[in-house]
Amino acid sequence: MTREEIIQHVNAVFVDQFEIEETRLVPDAQLFTDLGLDSLDIVDLLVELHKSIGVALRNNEEIRNVRTLGDVYDFLEKYAREHPEEIHSAGK
Amino acid sequence: MASDFPRVVITGCGVVSALGFDRATLFERLLAGESAIRVMPEWELPGATGELLAAPLELPHEKILSLDRKLRRSMAPVAIYATLATRDAIAESGLSDEELTNGTTGCAIGSTLGSPSAIHETMRLFHDSGLENMPAQQFFKSVSHTAAFNVANVFGLTGALLAPCSACASGLQAIGVAYDEIRLGRQTVMLAGGTDEATPEVAGTFEQLFALAHPATGQNAAEAIRPFDVNRSGLAVGEGAAVLVLEERVHALRRGARILAEICGYATNASGRQTSQSDAEAIERCLTAALREASLQPANIHYISAHATGTRQGDAAEAAALTRIFGNAVPVSSLKAQLGHTMGASGALELAVTLEMARRNTLLPTANLAAPDEACAGLDLLQAPRHSALRYFVKDCFAFGGINAVLIGEMPSAVEL
Repeated sequence: MTREEIIQHVNAVFVDQFEIEETRLVPDAQLFTDLGLDSLDIVDLLVELHKSIGVALRNNEEIRNVRTLGDVYDFLEKYAREHPEEIHSAGK
Repeated sequence: MASDFPRVVITGCGVVSALGFDRATLFERLLAGESAIRVMPEWELPGATGELLAAPLELPHEKILSLDRKLRRSMAPVAIYATLATRDAIAESGLSDEELTNGTTGCAIGSTLGSPSAIHETMRLFHDSGLENMPAQQFFKSVSHTAAFNVANVFGLTGALLAPCSACASGLQAIGVAYDEIRLGRQTVMLAGGTDEATPEVAGTFEQLFALAHPATGQNAAEAIRPFDVNRSGLAVGEGAAVLVLEERVHALRRGARILAEICGYATNASGRQTSQSDAEAIERCLTAALREASLQPANIHYISAHATGTRQGDAAEAAALTRIFGNAVPVSSLKAQLGHTMGASGALELAVTLEMARRNTLLPTANLAAPDEACAGLDLLQAPRHSALRYFVKDCFAFGGINAVLIGEMPSAVEL
């Protein structure tokens, strides 16, 4: 999965699930302060990413360190590279 | 009233129903004879004995989006209906944010069992995929007090938070317990009512007992539910919500609130012997207790908003109890031919319509009541709208588990207005 595809999947979650305008979805945006997410939204982000691209992240320690939207892209890009067998792109 | 308890009045009332999102529209559509009952080809219920009917409501998307996303996350339909109804009730009452949030205001909102659709989804997710696909608030959408706590969070209520779950008596029991909270001086204001969802699983509980109506050959869906009629064959489930603002009377008068009605008596009891069937003797005892609390005689009552769902046994038991107390002296009707059985919402929703009947001096009839059953014919059954002044009214609800609830209201006199 390319970085572009990852961005598409992640941004779709932010638009559909968190009802955030696409123009606000820039890599530097802080998830909590700029985009208004809270800890419950992070649980839902993991659920949506599982449904969207197949990654099971509930027990992943590294995902807990993301702070910006760019961190999410970077994390997933690295994860996809290291665990290509887990990734699918069924879409929503 | 003969007691020293504070008096409790209604100063706001919001509705979300299959026939409208405000009391006036709901009343006018009922008066026009409209029905929300339709065939449900999208529902699957293996083993059903006929075509499935229900009275679903279609909530405009913009109404849902009018609720903040973070508050909406924990809301299944049952909570959304209740929240929208509460918002309108508060607006009508004119209560301030300070009054809502300073601890003097609580809520009591009942539903049959929380959100049946969310419970179904929660169990499906657990069994199909475990936690990986489980949204953070799925559990909170499901729970029995989901509507009540969501309402409390949306409006910042910090008083009592109560959520009777007593099947089809839930809404009226919620109003009853809210009335008690104010009478006992614990709260000054209570937001109280009922809410429920129509789902195939809930319909299935009635179908299992052969209590669900199916259209006869050549019969329209709208004609299938026939409370008190000789040809009644069961009920259809409906959905929606109604929430009232109950308020200590002096508080309401001091702030200049418009009083829609006063609650002057309430009673709830159990049959102590029935699970699925209405019990005429227990209903009679409940009616008698409510009249006693209101210090009223049967002859004082001007209208009875019946529970009558359209089942053979339930309508007959209710009619027997009403006949023994009121004879044929009091007009009686049921709204379930048009709205379906809105279960946990029914007590509050039908009470809301009764307030509108009283305001307009027009009693609504039971739709589809062409030939009253002999078992019900001892009552003054309304078969057409009737122009009549209405001062005291009765609303009754009966539920699985042998629960009965009866509320008596009084319209304010011209002096108080």
